[in-house]
Amino acid sequence: MLNVVLWLPLAVGIVCLALPRRAAAPLAVVGTLGTLALAIGLIADFDSGSPGLQHVVDEPWIEDLGVRYQLGVDGISIFLVGLTALLWAGATGFSALRLPDRPRNYFFLLGLAETATLGAFLSQDLLMFVLFFDLMLVPFFFLIGSFGSGDRVAATMKMIVYTLVGSLLMLVAAIATAILVSQETGQLSFAIAELRAHPLPEGSQQWIFCFFAAAFLVKMPAFPIHGWMADAYRAAPLPVLALLGGVLSKVGAYGFLRVVLPVYPDASIHFQEVMLAIGVASILYGSMMAFTQTNARLIAGYSSIAQLGFITAGIFTLAPDGADGAILQMVNHGLVVAPLFLIVALLAERTGTEDIREMGGLAKRAPVLAAMFLVVVLATLAIPGSANFIGEFYILNALFDTKIAFAVVASAGIVLAAFYALRLFQLTMHNRGAGETASREVSLRDGLVLAPLVAVIVGLALYPGLILERGEAAALDRTAVVVSSE
Amino acid sequence: MDLSWYLVLSALLFAVGAGGVLIRRSPLVILLCLELMLNAGNLALLAFARANGDQEGQIFALVVMVVAACEVVVGLGLIVAMFRRRLSLNVDDLRGLRG
Amino acid sequence: MTCGACGVSVSATTYGWLILGFPLLGSLVVGFGWRALPGRTAGWIATTAIGLAFLCSIGAVVMLLDEPTDARQLTSSLWDYASAAGVEIQLGILVDPLSLLMCLVVSGVSTLIHLYSVSYLTSDQGFARYFSYLNFFVFSMLLLVLAGNFVLLIVGWAFVGFASYALISFWYRRTTATKAGMKAFVINVIGDVGLVLAAFLLFRELGSFDYLTVFEQAPGAFEVNAGTVVAICLLLCVGAFAKSAQLPLHSWLPDAMEGPTPVSALIHAATMVTAGVYLIARAHPLFELAPTAADIAAFVGLATLIFAATVALVVTDLKRIIAYSTISQIGYMIVAVSIGAYAAGLFHLITHAFFKALLFMAAGSVIAAMAGRQDIDGMSGFRRAMPFTSLLLIVGALALAGFPGMSGFFSKDEIIGFAFHRGGIYVVFGIGMYVAAFITAVYAFRIGFRVVAGPPCEQARELEQGHLAHSEPTNPATGEREDTEVGFPGPEHHIAEREMPMKIAMAALGVLAVIGGLVQIPGIDDLIEKVAAGSFEGSKLFEVVVPTGEAWEGLAIGGAIAIAGISLAYYCYVVSPGITLSLAERLRALHSFLIHKWYLDELQDILVYRPVIAVGRFCNAVVERVVVDGIVKVTVGAVRGVGSLVQAAQSGFVRAYALLVITGFAALGLYFLVAST
Repeated sequence: MLNVVLWLPLAVGIVCLALPRRAAAPLAVVGTLGTLALAIGLIADFDSGSPGLQHVVDEPWIEDLGVRYQLGVDGISIFLVGLTALLWAGATGFSALRLPDRPRNYFFLLGLAETATLGAFLSQDLLMFVLFFDLMLVPFFFLIGSFGSGDRVAATMKMIVYTLVGSLLMLVAAIATAILVSQETGQLSFAIAELRAHPLPEGSQQWIFCFFAAAFLVKMPAFPIHGWMADAYRAAPLPVLALLGGVLSKVGAYGFLRVVLPVYPDASIHFQEVMLAIGVASILYGSMMAFTQTNARLIAGYSSIAQLGFITAGIFTLAPDGADGAILQMVNHGLVVAPLFLIVALLAERTGTEDIREMGGLAKRAPVLAAMFLVVVLATLAIPGSANFIGEFYILNALFDTKIAFAVVASAGIVLAAFYALRLFQLTMHNRGAGETASREVSLRDGLVLAPLVAVIVGLALYPGLILERGEAAALDRTAVVVSSE
Repeated sequence: MDLSWYLVLSALLFAVGAGGVLIRRSPLVILLCLELMLNAGNLALLAFARANGDQEGQIFALVVMVVAACEVVVGLGLIVAMFRRRLSLNVDDLRGLRG
Repeated sequence: MTCGACGVSVSATTYGWLILGFPLLGSLVVGFGWRALPGRTAGWIATTAIGLAFLCSIGAVVMLLDEPTDARQLTSSLWDYASAAGVEIQLGILVDPLSLLMCLVVSGVSTLIHLYSVSYLTSDQGFARYFSYLNFFVFSMLLLVLAGNFVLLIVGWAFVGFASYALISFWYRRTTATKAGMKAFVINVIGDVGLVLAAFLLFRELGSFDYLTVFEQAPGAFEVNAGTVVAICLLLCVGAFAKSAQLPLHSWLPDAMEGPTPVSALIHAATMVTAGVYLIARAHPLFELAPTAADIAAFVGLATLIFAATVALVVTDLKRIIAYSTISQIGYMIVAVSIGAYAAGLFHLITHAFFKALLFMAAGSVIAAMAGRQDIDGMSGFRRAMPFTSLLLIVGALALAGFPGMSGFFSKDEIIGFAFHRGGIYVVFGIGMYVAAFITAVYAFRIGFRVVAGPPCEQARELEQGHLAHSEPTNPATGEREDTEVGFPGPEHHIAEREMPMKIAMAALGVLAVIGGLVQIPGIDDLIEKVAAGSFEGSKLFEVVVPTGEAWEGLAIGGAIAIAGISLAYYCYVVSPGITLSLAERLRALHSFLIHKWYLDELQDILVYRPVIAVGRFCNAVVERVVVDGIVKVTVGAVRGVGSLVQAAQSGFVRAYALLVITGFAALGLYFLVAST
């Protein structure tokens, strides 16, 4: 089952390369929908009581190095797999409606990217995780570099340099862990479960932790190593950006829960306050930046920094409710930011600019678009009653228990979020535009892409427990190591 | 005959080849000198093989000959291409790879 | 009670869910069917939905009163909203006398205001959108009061904040309206954060978000005036003050008058802004454990009450006068519930809802007759042109001023009487409230006399001849030309004299404003007190009863003050109308202090808004360029530096490379040669 989920997108992508230009887009859409259906099947089939892995695939791969082909889902990854499948379906559908040049390459790269991302979420072997983590970079390099706009070459170079440095550090750290553990057990293995069973001495944990943290924080991105974000976000095509902001940023946060917390528990405790400080700094800095920006993409981009700050803070409360909230928040943020970027694309099509000062009054002829935008914006600012609020509530509640000062400072982020999110909505949809902007209703086909995303946001708002209850066991499990070693 | 004579001859041939590669500017001559160096190596290999009484050295020599043949093909091809494009046949003028 | 045949149990909580369900359903039906609903249908659907909610509230009250007093707190939950990892949050409601009293007021007044809106907004382009928002607001407000735990309370709290935002910036082509909406929303979010932090503290100390659990365990867990419980109460107050527009979070309410007038009546007078009062009453077990926090809240209430009353004396925008009056009146309620006069506070909440909604409706009718102009300076002499509106405006003003026999008279003076009865420091509160009562009477009749009395203004004369005034569609605040397709109050204006639904709504409220006070007269009856008792079991302050004699003394003083205030207003605005102008000339410093609202808005701008923007700009200009880009530049520079060191080796000479290779191998060979020997 997991094998199919993992490789289907790539297979479809390869077929796309071989087909005539016109057939590529429909096939890609069908492929992502198929993956989505499988992912929904996985979620429906998920046993929420068990903390362990489900649907495990475990084959030897590179036996001399102890690398195994190990796949599995648990409460942390199951909804992220669902999110990946959903957003890819949305972004592919959206792209299919406004065909890029060289569609075959484009859809092949999208398929490759989906497989790489799913691989990162599914692999249970550290080396496999690292490989997929780096593989994600390749399609995005080309997607931004050759389908982007503006100063895309410089932007991709910056992004690649940043993330590659992180990836290399992570590779070193992964190999070091396996070798250090093998000195103890006498057998080289990269299986995360195996590594977890034999914790390293605290000294080695600490430097390895730093290497992993660097890789993950760059990917998120977190303050102050978010330098690549602004340029890359400016250059990326918007459907790709929806994936970049919606899914890729989560892989970093996911890595903390999947790898760092279980394998390096002592270092996690040791660096708890540093990580919380980074999280809270990201919240405040991201929010501050978000309301001084005038480019709609960058508002969403900096708000992502703030949101990922919340997620980081939630994970490093090292408490089950904080981690559970972080799991929920990862899904929420992906669900919110992706439609946000797609809507920005629609707005840009109508006004010919992405500068919110030059937009305005778009709600006039587009009440449906405005309504959908409003739902997304309210979820972005985590209005109580949305699932995002519950996520933040869980995170802050746990933070309040562990480090009260951080929680009080972080809650300022909620107020700032209200301001920048509403500003984005108001300056685009309300008031009057600077020039004559064509207010046009969202087309039926675009609506069909957006409406399911909005519907999922609303559905989760009614029952955020869906994710919380399934994440609970895994969250308890991840933090149990930490709690017991305290 | 003593092994050392073979080796001395091989070393001499090699030195001549290396000297040629370093001094001459014509790509064709450089290619010839490279061949000379390779064959110096071959000579040494064959001498060792004979002294040890097994075939390993001979096999290596065969491999080197194959490689040399390939090299000549590519090298000569390049030279012909350069000539056709009316590029200078002086290697000191071809410095496109300067850092 | 169980209906045996069908197996469905009909209880007070079922009604509770229905109370929530109808408005939500109405909002969705109108919202999704906006294009398909012709004419006024959307309005009628919405009004019916709220009316049904009102009927359900009555049903629930009837069922609840069947139960004994100590069993009148019923809970019910639909599903586990978000329960995991040791945190339990249910989608649950608490049906008790307090919440049902609020439900009755909210749904009752809302029904009338919906009815009024059906006419008032007929010619607005966003008719369906308006009713969808309005129904959503009522749903949120009912959710707020019915919530069974703090999380759901926060949800309702935020939803009403959003509904308020949506309705303030309803005419979204007006920049003034969108700005005001933003301000209201952001200040309300500050309040939300206060509530959220309070909930965290409660959870940390008591391990639950559930009202009943929290209130039951609180007395055992906290010492009286313990730091934690005081902190909790103060944080709750932040939420209450933001929503109820108390100092220093009041500035959004006057700006909120940018919304349509019925919205001002419903949200910014009758219901939403009283949520803070409800919250303090609901959390009374905590406030009684933290008398310090309660006193601080009462003090803030008193300060707001006097501040807003003085500002209402000088502001000239008709709706803003009433808005400041609202701020001031809520100050009374905050004082009441903070000093323990819960029943009196709720009583005033109810009567205030009646007369303030009435005042806004009458004001709306007058503004319509003025073709959208709101400045009181241009209005006079409407008594003959609009007899019905004038009558009800005066009725509302009388109730507001606390004229003997009117509803405001009984409720306001009950609060003041309680303050005097508690004695000690609370006497100061009593005196302060009397002062404010006098000012209230003056400004209430400043509105009344200036609009109704005097020579008819141009619009009034026209109207007497049957012509309703028309004007160019411009925004009265900025003079900006309106977008006539959307975001515009509509080309036609509607006044109560010509519209039956408006008339019915205003008449009903007028009657309630007159007789609403009769439910609780000292020594005669105490309906509110009796009904509310179920929610205040075990409260020491609730059981304090002001002796009848003392209460009547208070009523007498209050009545005298109200009459004195009205007389002064009569002298100033009817007998010698110029006197206020010369007074303003002579006391120019005081006048400009008041007209600038004590300079509090400016202070807020300098202390909060500008620093935040400045920090944001600083981040953008300095941190982003220097620190974040700096990291990249240093790295790139380092790589480039090392690169340039080895650059020389890449000469491009093939022979140089060959030499390097040969020397390298020679060196290696030499090394092994030397090493082996």
